[in-house]
Amino acid sequence: MAQIFKPSSNTVARFSLFLGLSAPVILGLAGAAVSRSSLNTKVNVPKNQPVPFSHQHHAWELGIDCRYCHVSVEKSAQAGIPGTETCMSCHSQIWTNSPLLEPVRKSYEENIPLKWNLVNKVPEFVYFNHSIHINRGINCNQCHGPVQQMHITAKGNSFQMQWCLECHRAPEKYLMADKANPGLTPRQQVFELYWKVQRQEKLTAREEALVTGGTARSEKAEDVTAGKELVQKYGIKTQQLSDCGVCHR
Amino acid sequence: MDSNNLPNPPQLDLDAVREKLNGKTGRHYWRSLEEVAETPEFQQWVDDEFPNRRSLVDMDRRVFLKFMGASIALAGLTGCRGYFLPEEKIVPYVKNPEEVTIGKPLYYASTFVHAGYGHGVLVSQNEGRPTKIEGNPDHPSSKGTSSIFMQAAMLTMYDPDRSQEVMAGRGDDATADSYQAFFRELKGKLKATQAAQGAGFRVLVESITSPTILEQLAELKKAYPAMTVHAWEPFGRRNVYEGTRVAFGKPLNPIYDLSKAKVIVSLDADFLADGPGALMNARGFAAGRKAASEGTMNRLYAFESGASITGAVADHRWGIRPSAILDAAKSILNGIENGSASPVQGVEQRHLQAMVKDLMAAGSAGVVVAGDYADPEVHIVVAHINEKLASNALSYTEAFDTEATSASINDLVKALNANKVDVLAIVGSNPVFTAPSDLEFEKALGKAKFSVHYGLYRDETARACDWHVPATSFLEEWGDARAIDGTVSIIQPLIKPLYNNPTPVEFFGALQGDLINGHERIRKTKYAGAVADENGWRKVLHDGVVPNTKLPVVKPTAQQIAVESKPVTGIEISFRPDPHIFDGRYANNGWLQELPRPMSKLTWDNAAIVSPKTAAELGVKSEESLTITVGGNSATLGVYVQPGQPDGVITLHAGFGRTEGGTVQKNAGVDVYALRSSKALNHAVAEETRGSSAVYALATTQIHHSMLGRDIVQWNTLAELSGLTGETAHGAGEHKEGEHKEGEHGAEEGHKRELKDLNMYPDEIFEFEGPQWGMTIDMNLCIGCNACAIACQAENNIPIVGKEQVKRGREMHWIRIDRYYTSQNAVTGQRTEEPNNKEVDPIDNPMPVFQPIACVHCEKAPCEPVCPVAATVHSHDGLNQMVYNRCVGTRYCSNNCPYKVRRFNYLNYSDNQPQFSEASVDIKQVPGPIKSPKTNGIQLLQMLVNPDVSVRGRGVMEKCTYCTQRISGARIEAKKLGRELQDGEVVTACQQACPTQAIVFGNIRDKDSKVFKSRRDKRAYLLLNEELQTRPRTSHLSKVMNPNPEIKA
Repeated sequence: MAQIFKPSSNTVARFSLFLGLSAPVILGLAGAAVSRSSLNTKVNVPKNQPVPFSHQHHAWELGIDCRYCHVSVEKSAQAGIPGTETCMSCHSQIWTNSPLLEPVRKSYEENIPLKWNLVNKVPEFVYFNHSIHINRGINCNQCHGPVQQMHITAKGNSFQMQWCLECHRAPEKYLMADKANPGLTPRQQVFELYWKVQRQEKLTAREEALVTGGTARSEKAEDVTAGKELVQKYGIKTQQLSDCGVCHR
Repeated sequence: MDSNNLPNPPQLDLDAVREKLNGKTGRHYWRSLEEVAETPEFQQWVDDEFPNRRSLVDMDRRVFLKFMGASIALAGLTGCRGYFLPEEKIVPYVKNPEEVTIGKPLYYASTFVHAGYGHGVLVSQNEGRPTKIEGNPDHPSSKGTSSIFMQAAMLTMYDPDRSQEVMAGRGDDATADSYQAFFRELKGKLKATQAAQGAGFRVLVESITSPTILEQLAELKKAYPAMTVHAWEPFGRRNVYEGTRVAFGKPLNPIYDLSKAKVIVSLDADFLADGPGALMNARGFAAGRKAASEGTMNRLYAFESGASITGAVADHRWGIRPSAILDAAKSILNGIENGSASPVQGVEQRHLQAMVKDLMAAGSAGVVVAGDYADPEVHIVVAHINEKLASNALSYTEAFDTEATSASINDLVKALNANKVDVLAIVGSNPVFTAPSDLEFEKALGKAKFSVHYGLYRDETARACDWHVPATSFLEEWGDARAIDGTVSIIQPLIKPLYNNPTPVEFFGALQGDLINGHERIRKTKYAGAVADENGWRKVLHDGVVPNTKLPVVKPTAQQIAVESKPVTGIEISFRPDPHIFDGRYANNGWLQELPRPMSKLTWDNAAIVSPKTAAELGVKSEESLTITVGGNSATLGVYVQPGQPDGVITLHAGFGRTEGGTVQKNAGVDVYALRSSKALNHAVAEETRGSSAVYALATTQIHHSMLGRDIVQWNTLAELSGLTGETAHGAGEHKEGEHKEGEHGAEEGHKRELKDLNMYPDEIFEFEGPQWGMTIDMNLCIGCNACAIACQAENNIPIVGKEQVKRGREMHWIRIDRYYTSQNAVTGQRTEEPNNKEVDPIDNPMPVFQPIACVHCEKAPCEPVCPVAATVHSHDGLNQMVYNRCVGTRYCSNNCPYKVRRFNYLNYSDNQPQFSEASVDIKQVPGPIKSPKTNGIQLLQMLVNPDVSVRGRGVMEKCTYCTQRISGARIEAKKLGRELQDGEVVTACQQACPTQAIVFGNIRDKDSKVFKSRRDKRAYLLLNEELQTRPRTSHLSKVMNPNPEIKA
């Protein structure tokens, strides 16, 4: 009778033992990787829309200010999505026959809103307020990525809690003042950046990073010191920033 | 789950209760008779934080696995939006409306009308949907505060059961038709009556004060000189008008300014909770009690035929039979006139004498208030008393509501029975349900040749009329109404009518023969302080109040009229509107149904409310059945034994037992209108009462969330209090620049420090620079009206759970008003401090104390360390935060909470509204425009939610957050302006609603803040702090009684 267990069985047994023990770990790590990957978070995954609106064209090439469409971003928790009328303020004059804009014209004529697909979203139990972030000089791109370079809008960051907390625990690493324009309020400074891009002025390294899809975060001692001064100036209570109730209620 | 599966009512031995109470020494408190008797049921409630949880493990294995499988599958799918789940949509406007900033509410002044009288409101509107009602600070009635009806009106507006279509035909055969078709037919019928000058044309209205509608009615009368307007308000003020008509020659409208009164006597008047002046009265009453710590306070004597909140806050209270109320009135009058008060059954003579002496000493600062439901004779006598006193606290205007100026419903029924009615329009009222039973209104209504009902619901009356036209809620219409002092305020729409219905003004326009526009019509109305131009009108809309429209005060002289009292024997029945659903018009409002009634703590039900002695005589116990027969009709109700109820009196709350018009009200309570006849509207004598041991399960919350007789409620008499200084009164651990003041009780200091050292909680968190939030609740000002509880419900998206779940102790209210009794009740003159005085029954007339309690935000919160997932943690500004998304539902926190203020969502109450289940939809879908009148119920209710507060799901613990959304909102706005928060900028929902402003909220670190001062009041104490060192952020201020020193047992 032939041997049931050949010598190689030992190796197989050892290997399967190793595999069995490490499988949960590997699966766990893989799960974590998937949940952080853009497969789950949808970061940098452009989302189809009823109208292929291009931020790159409108915000960068044409230089339209963010606030022309997102009117309540400085005043309210929500930035606001423009009504069809806002689109039609230009497109009743230009590209009036473009087939791409057919849904916009239809919406305007029939008084039925456009239904855009949601790109950036925090969960329902998170109460994010745009206005206070703008009023502290946090640039749009810090969270939304290089929107002015997006043809079809994609999510710029994961919006996972860990990512929020990076700044909420250490705002001094993110706050910055525009040294070239000391007279600006933090709120004005946010939008001044896009004008600088339009005027092709020289940008600082942090500004450059923001415009190209990076972050304003800086670990440099001088930046952190300046950031701490801003924290002081704005009356930001850093401990409170990571209290649960600041975002969850 | 059948509520009959729940444990049977406890076998309560009242003798044992008395025995136990007699054995108690010192100030002793109890919340229910069950608690004193230590029944097994009560023990179960106390021992088990989550009693009756059997339902959770009651499901069989298959169902359990099905649920498990489904929830796991759903959990895994959330990341797959766009693959397996539809994309979430974002829907902007087509044209952005002016003034709207997305994410920010707009506020409009409007008017809430309750029983005809206007209460000014400010309504917030989020992107076009009204979400929350608050009082209008400029309106004389509400002055920024709210009643429960005002707060709950928002739910009625979105009630999916509201009538949505014009219906032609009666009963089940009716078909949906158009308003135009109705209007054509109406016009034809009205034309036919014109030959006889409209003699066959009748309009039945409720109490109406709207100047526009009154003008329309006058115009109608001009067009049809022979037509008649009848008014029927089931619990209106007809006795007030009848009494003043006899006394003064014309019906008058008494207005009380209780802030000017030092001595107030109530004769069966629940003036703090009921009637058009309730908010005004509560404010005035509180003004006289605010300064208790400074040693001045008014004094309230109450004679009542039932247990009401006005009696509960009285310094001296006597429960007497309804027929004895007139005797009490005459006794006072005799006492004033000849110096000797005549006897009143059930009240000691020397007490009466002392009371009258006190009242006379107060002179013009004394006032006697007669209840709206007291017999007209009582009002006649009271008019004389107040005239003798020359009371400053009382003024009269001429009566102006339709009840005083219209024909009665009895006349209408006579005309109907004589076949004289060609066209009958019933506006708002529901007489088939509410009319006195001897009128047999439904039968008479059938004799009308053409009848139309205009109302919010297709109710009993609507189904008995030829046509039914759905009404609009006050949030959808243009209109106006007068407050009790005559001030006109405008009803301004917050939203287009959901179902495209005519507004009341437009409906009266239709009766006049025109399809008019309500807005244009009210612009034509002449107001006394005329609105001159467009700018004036804009200002009126902005303020909500038309200036200078207060009615002139009349100074009448009362005629001397002798009234005879009629002695009554046997068991007396006292009919009252339910404290929450009123005469039944709010029966389909789940918020009001589930709000525990102030005295009985009953929900979803009415009961035969009897005293312990009467219950024993009738041979019934609580939650057994009692069949009452009056005038040949009988009703069977559950028994509720109410300490303090006068013997021989059964109080029945009307409004329950509705059969038509809504799903929420179904199976809630028993209709008692059948027992009410036009001869004995408010009080009757029972022909027969038959008890039975059949169980009638009542859902009362009185033993839920008990704190086990620790030193929880505290009270002093005013005399005692003036002997106390801030140092010796109840000490409160306070913050001082990040440091904690040690206990103020010297001797105990060592013990306390030891406790503090043992404390495992960190202190560092309070060394934070920002504001430290705290609250004080003045139990001396609290009248137990529940306005805070329902305001909290509206603000914080708190669901209702239904009667069966309430019975299991799963009600979700974040703030509850505990009603304690103390029988060591020297102050009511009913009992001595000696513990073994057998002469007076300890449960006969106990003193109630109301204690509102929500999460007290302990600095050393016991709930926090027991949470395995850190879902409840402290914030730096002193809030005990509840993080819903972290909560896994272990309920350990609730087990460990000594205040029993945490609520667990067992069954996804927010989404599972079984009454609307046939209308279930994918709630993630974008709600489309409301096209069809068959609107989806859940979608409608979703429009109600406050967008700033999470809607919690199943398996999550929740509790008071100190309205953290309001704190965040105010903090962000202040930061944007680059300044610190000011005192008074953050107002919690309960604080804003409170009619007596008993709640103060603010930064306890700010030495100039109101809350800082209030926390250091000598009456302030911290609940259970001595025992547990929890250091609550909410302080309670002890109740103060101001008894007449001459009244001692």
